Amino acid sequence: MAAKKVIETKKVSRVFKNGEIEVRALTDVDLIIEEGEFVAIMGASGSGKSTYLNILGCLDLPSSGDYYLDGVHVNTLSKNQLADIRNQKIGFIFQSYNLLSRTTALENVELPLVYDRTARFPNPKEMAENALKQVGLENRMLHKTNELSGGQQQRVAIARALVNDPTLILADEATGNLDSKTSIDIADLFVRLNDEGKTILMITHEPEIAQFAKRIVTFRDGYILKDELIANRSTKESALRDLELTAK
Amino acid sequence: MRQFFKTFKVAFKAINKNRTRSLLTMLGIIIGVGAVIMTISAGEGATKQVQDQISGLGTNLLIIQVKQERRGGISVRKGKELSPKDYDILKNNSVWLDKVSPMVVAGGQAISTQGYKSTLVYGVSQDYFHIMSREVVSGEAFSELDVQLAKQVCLVGKTIQEELYGGENPIGRTIRIDKVPFTIVGLLEEQGQGGMGSDQDDMVVAPYTTVQNRLFGNPNFNVFMASAVNENKIEDAEVEATILLREAHKILANQEDDFDITTQVELNEITGEITSILTILLGAIASISLLVGGIGIMNIMLVSVTERTREIGTRLALGARESDILTQFLIEAIVLSAAGGLIGIALGIIGNQIIYQATDFYVPTAGYAIAIGFGFAAVIGIAFGYFPARKAAKLNPIEALRFE
Repeated sequence: MAAKKVIETKKVSRVFKNGEIEVRALTDVDLIIEEGEFVAIMGASGSGKSTYLNILGCLDLPSSGDYYLDGVHVNTLSKNQLADIRNQKIGFIFQSYNLLSRTTALENVELPLVYDRTARFPNPKEMAENALKQVGLENRMLHKTNELSGGQQQRVAIARALVNDPTLILADEATGNLDSKTSIDIADLFVRLNDEGKTILMITHEPEIAQFAKRIVTFRDGYILKDELIANRSTKESALRDLELTAK
Repeated sequence: MRQFFKTFKVAFKAINKNRTRSLLTMLGIIIGVGAVIMTISAGEGATKQVQDQISGLGTNLLIIQVKQERRGGISVRKGKELSPKDYDILKNNSVWLDKVSPMVVAGGQAISTQGYKSTLVYGVSQDYFHIMSREVVSGEAFSELDVQLAKQVCLVGKTIQEELYGGENPIGRTIRIDKVPFTIVGLLEEQGQGGMGSDQDDMVVAPYTTVQNRLFGNPNFNVFMASAVNENKIEDAEVEATILLREAHKILANQEDDFDITTQVELNEITGEITSILTILLGAIASISLLVGGIGIMNIMLVSVTERTREIGTRLALGARESDILTQFLIEAIVLSAAGGLIGIALGIIGNQIIYQATDFYVPTAGYAIAIGFGFAAVIGIAFGYFPARKAAKLNPIEALRFE
């Protein structure tokens, strides 16, 4: 019995029209990601990986092809349904954290629950506290975002992505604004969350971060160039060791 | 509904986070609402003052005048002058008129030993004081005999006492009006400012016979002041006076009156109209500032939408519907203008009090002025908040997230 398909795209293409000019950002992308996977998406800028992530995140719809998220045929959804599916099934992590300024960590983490219409979470505050504990910020809950370091801010953002118990966590260059050591910490946190059963898909252009994932999908010019499983995954220890070696 | 409350909380937090800006945004509305309340109240105050003065004239007053016609902005006498015969008829043959006094008014130079001043001399009968409810605070009014004998006696108002007698008791002193000496026998009670800014205490009141003989040189009158026997008989008195005067003036059935009778009631109506126009005008001017305040809110909200593009993108990505964003920004605008409205109301009331304390001009804070000011503020919040809110809600989340 195969594991549940969290993501399935069939011949997904995306064409941007700018007046007379058509730009093909994605061409016939087929991909299946199953529950419990930890996938890194790599590729040069302009390779279509961000466009693909936007479609997976239900922020954009494919021009052609079909996208199933957790069994739901996303193509057919209305704007409000797209908003709701983002709210219920997806946890977003952004490169620049996108936290609300002058707002406490706790309130930031509660934010997705503000838009929850299912009433799944009777106690948003407790949920947010638990999510913050998961990312190791139990002592920083009432700190305002501007009082936190970059790594801590990204942890708050990760807690925010966890709080609604999503089917899929999407991270877009989550370590792009962080130093190497903090990046390793965050990647290690992803590994831990994946070990706990979370399905994670992250875009990165740093090979040493991608090496933490179980599988790497490489994009080029709008199609999938390579899709391979990783034999020797990095761990926090190995990555830190490598970091020291390169420093010398 | 639950979603609405959650969004309300979000909007409130956003306002609270930007307190300085929120306050500045509200400033336009605060000033606008304050101005509306203060101007409308000032109009109301003026109305009330004028009305008080009119009712101060006595509640059952009738003013009988020679018919006037306005030609090219100048009043021209159209009917016959009112004669001493008319006076006798009204005085003796009327049932519903209680008292009648002729009135001749002449402008003149009043001279005392201490100074001089141009003033108005009212020639009236002894009944004038009763008809107009004017009290004599010192000395006494002249008598019927004084009128019959055309004695050179007079009463003066407070302003005359102050300017020509240095505030001392003027009774027994002599005042010259255009070289005619009068002996002051009484001081009139202070009346204060008139409706149109005239000083009702700048007057000399003398027997009409004396004024006619010495100053006017005309045996006829322009005006009779009269009082009805009581308030309920004003209309009867008006009809009766009309019949008596038409008969006296030998006016045929198909001819118009050659005189005008104005009653207290009509006077109230006319001034009511004038002052309400004044109030509306003032309110309209103040509303413009409210409008400007509304545009200010729109401005700041638009800036705020641009500034918070990323935040909006994040909210959309995390599952906010367009309607959630629209509601949030609309609530922010409405809360800002409503709060501004409340502060404006407080400011208006305080402002009215300050004016009252400083100038003695009583400004009642009209309930409807508060309602108008607040209602207007709320409407402006919705009207000017909608456009920026829609702009926010229609943002493309992908572009919003990328916005620098």
